[in-house]
Amino acid sequence: MPPPDLAQIERLLYDEADCLDRADLDSWFELYTEDSDYWMPVSPDQNDPHRHISLFYDNRLMMEIRRRNFGHEYAASMEYPIRCSHIISNIRIVSADDNSSECRVTSNFQAIVYYKDQNVYAGKYTHDLVCRGGTYRIKHKRVDLINCDAEQGNLVIYL
Amino acid sequence: MGSQEHLTDLQTLVQPTRVHRSVYTDPDIFALEMERIWGRAWIYVGHESQVPSAGSFITTEIGLDPVLMVRDDDDNIRVLFNRCRHKGAKLSARCVGKTDYFRCPYHGWTYRNNGELRGVPAREGYPETGFNAGDHGLVALAQVDNIRGFVFATKSPSSPDLRTYLGDAAATLENIADRAPAGKVEIAGGRLRYRHPCNWKMFIENLNDAMHPMIAHSSVGMAALSYMKSQPEGTSYPREAEILFPFGSSYDFFDQMGVTGLANGHGYMGGTSSIHTAYSDIPGYWEAMVSSYGEIRTQEILSSNRHNTIFYPSFTAKDAIQAIRVARPRSVNETIIETYHFKLVGAPEEMLERTILYSRLINSSSGMVGPDDLDCYARMQEALCSSGSDWVDLSRYAQQDNQENGNVTGSGTSDLAARNQFSAWSKLMATSD
Repeated sequence: MPPPDLAQIERLLYDEADCLDRADLDSWFELYTEDSDYWMPVSPDQNDPHRHISLFYDNRLMMEIRRRNFGHEYAASMEYPIRCSHIISNIRIVSADDNSSECRVTSNFQAIVYYKDQNVYAGKYTHDLVCRGGTYRIKHKRVDLINCDAEQGNLVIYL
Repeated sequence: MGSQEHLTDLQTLVQPTRVHRSVYTDPDIFALEMERIWGRAWIYVGHESQVPSAGSFITTEIGLDPVLMVRDDDDNIRVLFNRCRHKGAKLSARCVGKTDYFRCPYHGWTYRNNGELRGVPAREGYPETGFNAGDHGLVALAQVDNIRGFVFATKSPSSPDLRTYLGDAAATLENIADRAPAGKVEIAGGRLRYRHPCNWKMFIENLNDAMHPMIAHSSVGMAALSYMKSQPEGTSYPREAEILFPFGSSYDFFDQMGVTGLANGHGYMGGTSSIHTAYSDIPGYWEAMVSSYGEIRTQEILSSNRHNTIFYPSFTAKDAIQAIRVARPRSVNETIIETYHFKLVGAPEEMLERTILYSRLINSSSGMVGPDDLDCYARMQEALCSSGSDWVDLSRYAQQDNQENGNVTGSGTSDLAARNQFSAWSKLMATSD
């Protein structure tokens, strides 16, 4: 089998970044599988999202609830424009299964999030991707902020 | 404003049913609070399980003062100012660690883990100076005590003892520990540190404010409901929904829950029922409890259900959730809220998982509840700095307070808790030592 298609994977990561840049969670959500989750640990090298607190750990259910709450007129924290700029680099396929239907991709990111103030986030992404019918989707995403254990303000959008 | 001017002002700034906006916004009042409230009250430091063996320590703050909580070689838990007695540098910059002695990184003075001065480099340089190592140990907090492992300290030697100061609020800490089949809890699951751009009192007041959930948290309930409606009929409610839905409970529900104000500004909502009462059982927990305590005592322990107990001024606890949130004031308009979680020793691990899930959905920076609370505090902090109207209203159900055995009780949506907190505030702020 040929190795995973890096160009296709890069396009997926850029598409995801574009959805988040536009704060379009409905389109973002479509890039994820039905059994997906999104994790932002609060400790470096954290290995457990269930018995250890995280900044984010959304299963599909919480993604559904969050996107319905996002921008809600009754939510005080949502009454501000949210605009982001994500830069992704150093994209590497670190592992893949034999038939290239699943692979793990790591990358570096920097995200500027304009939400009340201009906020800067940086760190490493780990994406677990699955390929079905020639198209990759995201099964699991882990976001390791370089300052994950620092004091944080409101985190109102996925990074 | 000078300090003398405040003494007369303070009498007029806090009135029975309203407070002047400056109590939240004036840096001079904040400075006086650090001295008279945070410098006198028993402040939560940490849990003894954070310092499990000799030399284990954590660093934190009491008011604006950096402190160390350390277990010494004789197994005593000490709370010491984290400040070298030489030039005053902060001794340890780490949040947590283990050491036989503390060494100042500037000139190398070292201290034993009980605070005694251990060594001074080139000590022969102090002949006939009157320098006495015995006088230069780390300064200990005036009083340190704990309830079931929850360690408090006060800078004031004249404050009443911890049990007297906390009164019935202590029962919440007892209940948290009693909820463990082994009768004790341990810190677990990491912590959150959440930066709040607001005065510390806004956070503490909000924890016993039941008029806000139906408004401030309504969107979350609606979002969860909208999702559940999109699911096939008969889909059972997941634990996430079980946690989120009660935040949209009616005014009647919260009124029924009730609120109790205790001496010294403490208080709690609920007692026998709260937004946590209807959670489904976790397999094996009841059995583990009954085998430790028997059925009657287990029933009694689990029937206590205080929504948020305020330990004025520094933290709030949820007995049924085993999580606490600690306010660490930084300035008049900045407060760090730390969340800590506890494992019930002897209980199924799933109990901790529920605690963590709750905390992530509610207390985290990305939570479905905390960010809206924070935004409301930030709005108050910003707008209260402006002129226009000077007063914050606390009059809801003011004529219906019931006085019982030194406590004051009322309907859950009363402003009673805030009035009770300001009554303690006024008492502490009115007098200098």
